[in-house]
Amino acid sequence: MSTYAASRPEEDEAEIATDLVRRIASGNASAEGELVERYSRGVLYLLRRLAPELADDLHQETFRISLERLRRRELDEPEGLAGFLRGIARNLVIGERRKSARRRTEADDEELAQAVHPAPGQLSAVLLDEEAETVRQLIRELPTERDRQLLLRFYVTEEDKESLCTDLGLDSLHFNRVLFRARQRFKELLLERRKKAVMRHGPH
Amino acid sequence: MDHTEIEERQIPELYLMGKLPPEEAAGFEEHYLHCQECLDRLELAESMERGFKRAAGQDAARVAATRQIAVLAWLSRLGRSRQMAALAMAVLVVAILPGLLGLREVRERERELAAARSDLEQERQRSAVGSRTEAEAQRLQAELEASRSDLDRERQARASADEQLEEARKPRGNVPILFLDTERGGGEPTHRLSLRDTPGLIVLALVIDPPHRPSYRAVLRDAKGKEVWRGDGLQLNEMEALSLSLPSTLLAPGDYTVEVDGRRFTFRVLK
Repeated sequence: MSTYAASRPEEDEAEIATDLVRRIASGNASAEGELVERYSRGVLYLLRRLAPELADDLHQETFRISLERLRRRELDEPEGLAGFLRGIARNLVIGERRKSARRRTEADDEELAQAVHPAPGQLSAVLLDEEAETVRQLIRELPTERDRQLLLRFYVTEEDKESLCTDLGLDSLHFNRVLFRARQRFKELLLERRKKAVMRHGPH
Repeated sequence: MDHTEIEERQIPELYLMGKLPPEEAAGFEEHYLHCQECLDRLELAESMERGFKRAAGQDAARVAATRQIAVLAWLSRLGRSRQMAALAMAVLVVAILPGLLGLREVRERERELAAARSDLEQERQRSAVGSRTEAEAQRLQAELEASRSDLDRERQARASADEQLEEARKPRGNVPILFLDTERGGGEPTHRLSLRDTPGLIVLALVIDPPHRPSYRAVLRDAKGKEVWRGDGLQLNEMEALSLSLPSTLLAPGDYTVEVDGRRFTFRVLK
């Protein structure tokens, strides 16, 4: 159950979801396209969080199963369409994990010996270094040592907001402001770096 | 979806760090499935978090590498003999360090052993004190038992005395009265008294010849001359006799003498 159900955007979502569910159940093909377009990015993000190596395959499978179900019958609570999609995606991940666990118990030693941890590719490594350099630049630009401490402790050592505020003598508003500005600046710096990289080497 | 709350609580960051409670995480997932703004925010926060962690890791590795390089550079600046000395020192440290650690461990164990011994000794002392206390308790218990036994005997004696007193208070018939005259010569006592099975009073009536005195003293002795009873201030009755009532328990079979101011009265008690 969502804890954010009372806010306005959720009300919009409820209307849109109900409309999509009814139209799909009545055989409207464009509604199916709208559903995929609306939820595709979110479902893929969720799947990448749950099972990065399976995300692309399960992304398609999630929509295939969802559309088949929605064509057969309307949802009892059509406004909960997002929850329905999330449930299918998670169940698929769980099913795949069970399958691979069974396969692992049947695998022989040779198969296990061949299984290696996938190392990040060269491009991924470059992108990761780029993010690290951007963070260094961001840190250098921060006006106070306290703000530097705040970001490092929040992102690197993952300390709680409350304990950080108490420790550094900050109020919640200041904390949020530092994080908000840091995110905006990080985004700007990252985009600048990528633009420069594209200009130097051409698009990836 | 309330983006104010998302911003206020930094929910995307908490979600990425796995710090959101499961119910809230589920709600946020349902939200971002259709919210492009939150997906942008998530991707940015994820990228930033990765950047911070990678930068921190790289910096730590760089610091470690710099230290190693500094040591190597220092070594390279030394002469051959000093390099060998440094190497020997390093080997020595590597060789000795485990020994020192072992020694420290041994000392720690010795301290623990000493503490355990001390505890044991204290326990023994406590046990000894406990034994003394037990002996004292036994002694007190024995004394208590003896006191109880004395008290029982006392009670029995008291009960017996009460019984005798009660018996004495009752009007009695057939009280033996022994009339005694002054003994005028030696020989065996002519007056005899037989003791009954049940205790009771015996009355001795001593006939006193004139001249009379206002009061007399009487002493009862057994055959060995041992004083059995003594009475002062005795006065004559209208029959010019002194009457003495004695409990029969005072007398055992044998000869007795009553001395009254120079006069002697003898009698024999028979069983």
